[in-house]
This record gives sequence, C-alpha cells and structure tokens, in this order.
Amino acid sequence: MKSGGTAHRGFGYSDHSRKQNFFTFLSMTKKQVIEFSRYPISFVAEFSQVLLIVGMFMFAAIIFIGEGGAGLPRIAGIMMYGFVLNMFLIFVLWEIGFSVREEQYRGTLESLYLSPVNKFSNLTSRIFAIVVWTVGMVGIALVVVNYYVGGLPAENVLLALFLLFFSITGILGMGFMAASLILRLKESANLLLNVLQFFFMIFCAMFFPFSALPPEILNTVTRWIPLSYGVDSFRSVLVGQSPELMALEWEIVVVVLFGILSPIVGYYLYRRGERKARLKGTLGEY
Amino acid sequence: MGTAIAGLGLYKKTPRTSFGVFASVLKARLIIISRYKGSLIMELFMPIVFAALPIMLGVSLASGGTPVAENWKISSGTADFRAFMLIGACTFSVVSLMTWLVGFWVRREMVTGTLESVWVTPAKKYLVIGGVTGYALIRAFTAFIISFLIGSLIFGVNPFQGNILIAVLFIMIGLLPLWGISFMFGALILKVKEANSLINMLQWVLAFFMGVYFPVTVLPGFLRYVALSFPPTWMTNGVRASLLEVGYFFEHWYIDLAIIFVFAAVVPLLGYMVFMRTEKRLKKNQGMGLY
Repeated sequence: MKSGGTAHRGFGYSDHSRKQNFFTFLSMTKKQVIEFSRYPISFVAEFSQVLLIVGMFMFAAIIFIGEGGAGLPRIAGIMMYGFVLNMFLIFVLWEIGFSVREEQYRGTLESLYLSPVNKFSNLTSRIFAIVVWTVGMVGIALVVVNYYVGGLPAENVLLALFLLFFSITGILGMGFMAASLILRLKESANLLLNVLQFFFMIFCAMFFPFSALPPEILNTVTRWIPLSYGVDSFRSVLVGQSPELMALEWEIVVVVLFGILSPIVGYYLYRRGERKARLKGTLGEY
Repeated sequence: MGTAIAGLGLYKKTPRTSFGVFASVLKARLIIISRYKGSLIMELFMPIVFAALPIMLGVSLASGGTPVAENWKISSGTADFRAFMLIGACTFSVVSLMTWLVGFWVRREMVTGTLESVWVTPAKKYLVIGGVTGYALIRAFTAFIISFLIGSLIFGVNPFQGNILIAVLFIMIGLLPLWGISFMFGALILKVKEANSLINMLQWVLAFFMGVYFPVTVLPGFLRYVALSFPPTWMTNGVRASLLEVGYFFEHWYIDLAIIFVFAAVVPLLGYMVFMRTEKRLKKNQGMGLY
C-alpha cells in the first residue's frame, strides 16, 4: 500500500518504493556528513596520518634500494597501490562495523531499526561518505608520492579502475560481515577489527610483493582470500608486470565474482545476525 | 586520627596513605585490563605486524637481487634491517601505549562520568595520575620485552646480541620523559575531548620523527633537528646502538643517556604543569566532567 490512508503492514506509512529507499540513503548519508563535519580536526588528522605512514615507508624503501638505485617508482607503485586497497579496507571495516557499534553505544540502534525504512540503505549510507573521503585522501597521497619518486607507473588505468571498483564492492561485503559479528561481539569489536585489519594487511601482501610471503602461507592462506587477487591484479595492471598469484584473466574473474558475491553474502549474514539479535532482544544492548 | 585535615575529610596525608592512593589506582587499572586478555595479546603482536611490513618489503627486494643489507648498512650502520625494524616498532609500541593509555584514561573517565568524582576525592591528583602512568609504564615495558622476544623468534633476530644492560637502561630512563609527554596528551584530551584521531595522528608524528623504519640521520637538516628534540628518538637510537652497534648520536652511550636524563628531569615536570594548567582553566569554565 502506498502512503495514504492505510498503513503498509509492519512498516507504518512507509511505502518501500525505490524513491523512499533512495531518500533513506540520502538522509542517512547527510547525517553521516553532518557528523563528520563537526570534527574538522579529525579530517586533518586522518589525512596527515596517511601522509606520515606513506612517508615512513618511502624512506625505508629508498634506503633499501640505495643511493641512486634504480626501480624506486616500481617499488613505490607496489607499495602505494596496495596501500590504496588497504585504505578502503580499513575505512570500510571501521566505518560500517563501528558505526553500528556506535549506534548501540548511543542507544539509537533500536530506534533506527524500528523506523520503517530500508535496512540496506541504512547500512550502505554509513560508508558512502567515507568511501568518497577515502578516494580523495588516497588520490592526494598518490599525487604526492608520484611527485616525490618522479612518476609512479600507471600502465592500464582503465582496467585498474574496473578492478578497483569490484574490489571495493567486495570490501563492502566484508564490512557487512564484520558488522554482523560486531552485533554479537559488542565490546570486543575493537579487537576483532584490529585483528582483521592486520590479518589482511599481511596475508594479502598490501605493502610488499607476494613473493615475500613464505610459500606455505601463500598456498594455505593468501590464495584462499579473494581480496588477495584484487590487490595482485590492481597492482599488476598499474605497475605493468605479470600477476603473482595466477593469470590475469583468471584474477579478473575472481575479482568480479568477489565484487558481486561478497556484498550479497555479507548482507545476508548481516540480516541473519541482526535477526538473531532482535529475537534475543540484544540489538540495542550495550 | 581524631581530627581530619582541613578540606580533606578523614584523609590524612602521610607517606603510607600517599602510597595507598598510588597503589590503589595502579591495582584498579591492572585488574581492569586483566579482564581484556584479547587486547593484551593484540598489543603484543601489534609491533610485530608493524615491523613485518617493511621487513617483508626488504626480503622481497633482496630475493630479487637488490643488495638490501649492504644498502641498509650504509645508511644505518647495521646490515640487520630486521632487528633494526623490530626495535623501532617495539619502542614505538612503548611510546604509543604510554601516550594512549594516559590520554585514554582521561577520556574514559569523562565518558563514564567519573572524572569529576575522581577529582573531588581528597587524594592528591599527582598520585592518581602517577598510578595511571605507573600502570602504563608496567604495561608498556612488559609489552616491549615480550613483543621483542616473539618478534625475534619470528624474524630470526638474535635478541641477546650487543649490550642488553645498556639497552634496558635506555628504555627505563627513556620511559620517564614519555611520562611527561603522556601528561601533555592527557591535557590535550581534556581540552579537545573527542581527540582520538588527533592522538592517532600525533602518535604517527612521533613514529615518523623517532625513526621507526629508518635512521633519523637520513632526514633533511631541519627535520633532523626536530627529530632530535623528541625524547623517544634518543631512546630508540640508544636501544639500537647498544644492541646493534649502529652508533650513538654523541659517540658514547653515557652522553646519550645523559641527554635522556635531562629530558627525564624536564619533560615530566613540563607535562604535569601543562596538565594542571589545562585542568585549572577547565574548572574555571565548563568544568572537568563535560562529555
């Protein structure tokens, strides 16, 4: 039933049309942006932090290669392109996972769930602003490093953007899965997110080539994580080298499948986790 | 015991009661953290992950034929870049824990609404803060030792090389200026309140200038002087020089240690002064407990 005299069963006056879903998404995004805008210091601090981390790695890489050593742009490319995906992963994991936790903390999660709005729009709106912000941040970091090393390699930018898009949607799915766990873990969420962040940082070889990982780890852990193929293919097509894990065509297939399936599976798991929490009555519990 | 000290209720300021305040705060913090075993384990592995990232890069470059160890020796004085990174990451973890634990204690008390109550108890504030920083010292030092040993095992570093006694001395004395820095972080949190990202950023500023991943001597002129004005830079280099023989800033260990002594005498006093001034200003305005 459309909005009018009679309410939609269970949804109050909400009509759940595409228009309403879009406006839910828009309103929640606006709320996030307003919240961010109240902490301008955080913006500056986060950006400076990114540059400092990149700077530390760059100094180490320069010493490794040696005075006048060749190949700095390539090494910088390997680090920076892995770093791009790492940034998206960290921000999505923390933002989706933690914003759900924050709503629990403030005591507003239950009220939001009682409102007759689309849950998916509610969840995705939490990361839209942060994804846009991350794009800006990594963009500037890339420009700075590009200038510093005298040109980062950028071979097949279009294909790289295509791979980046599907890697990000895949990461979103991982964010949904993390959020479902956080609903259950509550105060241990911090720990979980830290563990996940470091796990992927090391086992998806985000700051170094995959060849640095011992073959046992490469075969038993790394090759089983779809995101590894996202890192490998994105980095390879930009640096202009052969992928390390498997042939590029197959890596593209894995990344596209990851980008499509991960949000579906992730959202399904989130809804399951949320349903369990509602049945137990622990959704809004701190 | 009949008459109370004016303004202090039944609290009587004796060395025993003063120690009691310090010990109670310390004990309370240790009990609370003992309930979060996962966080403690995570804390031990954090420096290992930080060290692993550049080490892996070095390893992969070396396997590709780049003379990584030789290049590292030219810039830092040691070819053992694994040990260099591990020491850097472990000392950074100490700095990070010290600043974060004290700063976060202030914030946590604010959020839970107990800061004002703690402040109106007749106990001396420096004893309360002393208890918190003492707890941070114990936690940071223990984390350093365990992380360093585990990291050494993982990266194939000999943890017992060089002069361990001098290294321990550098850490112990180096922790004292950190005490002062953590007071300053506490003051910043009192003022800014929602300062998590600011503290995070400042920690990375410290990480950059203390040379976690590289010797500060490779920094350009002005930045090198900035780095040398940070006490953690001296602590990190002191530990590295005593274990890996990378060279002290002033050639001899005792001169570098003397510099840290000066920092240890000045920075905690400065930090405490900043903290108390901030607190006084806040009390005159909106109060301490405002979330």
